[in-house]
Amino acid sequence: MKHTIAITVNGTEERLQVDARQTLLEILREDLSLTGTKQGCGMGECGACTVLVDGMAVNACLMLAIRCDGREVLTIEGLSEGEQLHPLQQAFVEQGAIQCGFCTPGAILSSKALLDTNPSPDEAEVRESLAGNLCRCTGYAKIVKAVLSASKHQRGIARG
Amino acid sequence: MADPEITDLISPALDSNHVARIGVVGMPHPGVDARAKAVGRLEYITDMRLPKMLEGKILRSPHPHARILNVDTQRATRLPGVRAVITSKDTPRLLYGPMIADQYPLAVDRVRYVGDAVAAVAAIDTYTATEALSLIDVDYEILPPVFDPMEAILPGAPQLHDVKTRNIALTAGWQRGEVDEAFRASDVILEQRFQTQLVHQCYMEPMAAIAAWDTHGRLTLWLPIQVPGLAQWNYAAALGLAPGRVRVVQTEMGGAFGGKLEHSFHLVCALLSQAAGLPVRIAYTREEEFEAGLPRVPFVIDLRVGAKRDGTLMAKQADLFADNGAYTSYGPAILSAAATRSDCLYRLNNVRTSMTLVYTNKVPTGCFRGFGNLQMHFANESMMDMLAYELGVDPLDFRLKNATHAGDVTVHGFQIGSCGLSECLKQAAELSRWRETRSNPRRLHGIGVAAAIHVSSNRSFVPEFDGSAAIIRIGADGKATVLTGEVDMGQGSKTVFAQIAAEELGLTLNDISVPNADTDLSPFGLGTWGSRATTLGGNAVKAAAEDARRKLLTAATELLDARPGTLVIEGGFVRAPDGARASFADVAKHFAYRNGGAPILGQGHFVPPGVVPSDPRTKFGNVSCAYPFGVHVAEVEVNIDTGQVRVVRIVAAHDVGKVVNPLGAEGQVEGGIAQGMGFALMEEMQVISGKPANPNFRDYKIPSTMDMPEIECSFIESQDPHGPYGAKGLAEPAIIPTPPAIANALFDALKIRFTELPITPQKVLMAIQQTKAHEASSYRGGEASG
Repeated sequence: MKHTIAITVNGTEERLQVDARQTLLEILREDLSLTGTKQGCGMGECGACTVLVDGMAVNACLMLAIRCDGREVLTIEGLSEGEQLHPLQQAFVEQGAIQCGFCTPGAILSSKALLDTNPSPDEAEVRESLAGNLCRCTGYAKIVKAVLSASKHQRGIARG
Repeated sequence: MADPEITDLISPALDSNHVARIGVVGMPHPGVDARAKAVGRLEYITDMRLPKMLEGKILRSPHPHARILNVDTQRATRLPGVRAVITSKDTPRLLYGPMIADQYPLAVDRVRYVGDAVAAVAAIDTYTATEALSLIDVDYEILPPVFDPMEAILPGAPQLHDVKTRNIALTAGWQRGEVDEAFRASDVILEQRFQTQLVHQCYMEPMAAIAAWDTHGRLTLWLPIQVPGLAQWNYAAALGLAPGRVRVVQTEMGGAFGGKLEHSFHLVCALLSQAAGLPVRIAYTREEEFEAGLPRVPFVIDLRVGAKRDGTLMAKQADLFADNGAYTSYGPAILSAAATRSDCLYRLNNVRTSMTLVYTNKVPTGCFRGFGNLQMHFANESMMDMLAYELGVDPLDFRLKNATHAGDVTVHGFQIGSCGLSECLKQAAELSRWRETRSNPRRLHGIGVAAAIHVSSNRSFVPEFDGSAAIIRIGADGKATVLTGEVDMGQGSKTVFAQIAAEELGLTLNDISVPNADTDLSPFGLGTWGSRATTLGGNAVKAAAEDARRKLLTAATELLDARPGTLVIEGGFVRAPDGARASFADVAKHFAYRNGGAPILGQGHFVPPGVVPSDPRTKFGNVSCAYPFGVHVAEVEVNIDTGQVRVVRIVAAHDVGKVVNPLGAEGQVEGGIAQGMGFALMEEMQVISGKPANPNFRDYKIPSTMDMPEIECSFIESQDPHGPYGAKGLAEPAIIPTPPAIANALFDALKIRFTELPITPQKVLMAIQQTKAHEASSYRGGEASG
């Protein structure tokens, strides 16, 4: 049986017919073709599918689509403005925090959730908030650096 | 393969005055595709969708060893939405395997591990395909299994393959020098067994494949694969087709680390698509990755080493047993690497080695960063530490004394063209404050060192040839496209190739694109493994760029009506001495108009000089054109109440020759250290009665942000005579010294030697308690006798 949900994704309101068993990840990737959100484990353990739901970082593979009715979802596709990268995306690129790139969208969105609530985290806070975003390529050093650098950059803009 | 006619076609490198270099090689770059990845627009295979594509699922054996009596697919076939159900009866039943043909894509008569593929379904979606699997009825007759390789080789053990006695896939042995005499002349001889465990590559992108057949019966496979060229060969043979009937298109890769070479499920996907008459995708779940991937070959290593009182290494005997699992992937080559490379790290003339690859009723094992050399280095570099301790010399000085040097020809015939091992040792000592830390010991804190040698390509991997080829196309827009058969799996080889092409053509990276390999379009490439992409692929790209440059200059000479040999390339323009200039686009257009529309095509290739396949029996031979070296120093702290080991800091010094992309190189080292730490302390695939017990990231823990130490990495840029600009490989050397450096640091902290990986808190606690009990009993013993 299908259910109708109204969901705002990256600022656009969508009305979708969803199956009760479908996850947010499935409707993002399959119904809305927003494939920037990745599936790495399907069990909420790797963080590759991290998106923001009403500003909170969630594993989209664990959230049922019908529970997203009336909510606002932000995916990696909604982060940059045109060709202008979000400061976090810019920092991930500049710091060399991206290798295979499969964990990158999730890691960037977890970092956004952190900086939205704590604009000037220290290294330990960055590490803690990214503990659920597994990366097998980088050893995390440059990811942590990127988040700290983006935080500085954002505060610089705020001060200016 | 040294065909003189072909070799003559390589254009000699033009005088560097013909191009104004801006030093792209050696400049840090975040990666040519980093931006696409940051915005989520890079398309991986599960992001692709072909029209009418079906989803495939595989029915796997729940038993480690059983005879298949009957497979009934009727109920599954009748399920609405199912388009094809296949068993081995629907396949050509040709034995397949990259090194030993011992496997069918779908099991014939017998299953040999929990996860062995028995049947497959293609349906309109994964829900339907999964439901259909539950409707397939299989009757099994359970057979006795064997899981431990040391038991599997005993007479009377259950036999996996009828043609292989005592479950031995292969066994070999050799001796060089005067081993017995050298042991007799040794002042200290140590013997120890070391063991390494089953671990998974855990790339974040699970494996997947898409297959489609055209109306002429030609197969196209879209694969995130490290070896598109080898896959074309091997899959065509497995399907009974000529290689030209199979096209492999490499897709973007979300990590691989050795785990994405040939895999039989790609063939299942092809067969399903053939049966359904539509494109089919099979995408692995994470659980399937653990159940039926190709995890790292576990080893049992019996090691005996002798040294003189002055610290001179005298002799080494190694007996290696490797767990192949149920079928052969690259075990034979992995075992050869394990059995030879570590002997070449130090000056050592007397070695005796035996190696045995054993079938067991477990998941087949394969390649994973380090390729046997990682497992052996854990044993070897632990043993060096033990020897140094026994001799009372500093373990770093012990290594310096015995280190291999440039110009050496090692005991296995490796010709060491460049070697910064001693410099790496000294650099790591300085950066880690080795001597100060060692002379001020702290309780439950330790510091340890380990070194490594590796290859940059491995001539013994593919018998036919070694080398690389590239094509560079300069189109009418003046932009360059680099075609290569080598593969970027996320490590950044596209960036390195773009840097090299840009360097030789005087362009910026924005003017260069490096598409994925496609066997219809790219030169044949052996692919990315053995830390070979930069060294071999880089040389080929350099040669192709030089050829393109020569053709571009010739066309420009005509266009600008200049005197031959007077033009200079600068920033996308060709300039004459009189100031006249033409853009690459102008020159390429001129060339095209004069040649019926043809683009400027530069072709180049590289055949590693002086490289031979190792002798099949004795494994002697210079298998690689360059040998990278590396040293890690690890500092650890032990929590005596929990047994938890915290790695505080790792200092890494690597001799990779010229560093082409310093940012990428650092990333390789940092990632290698993380994987090495996971292998040393955390990771193990638990197999209970043949069943995977922790096939997910909740129960199988890999390092997270919280586990990583401070890392300091530095590079020793020895100039390799054969690498492009002097560059050597780095991917695998980055992981190899980490596990033994950690084990050696633990010895320094606790005076306890750990010889079995992973060194879990449980093992540490138990060892501490045993040591305490031992000390207490010997103390009481002392009282009683006194």
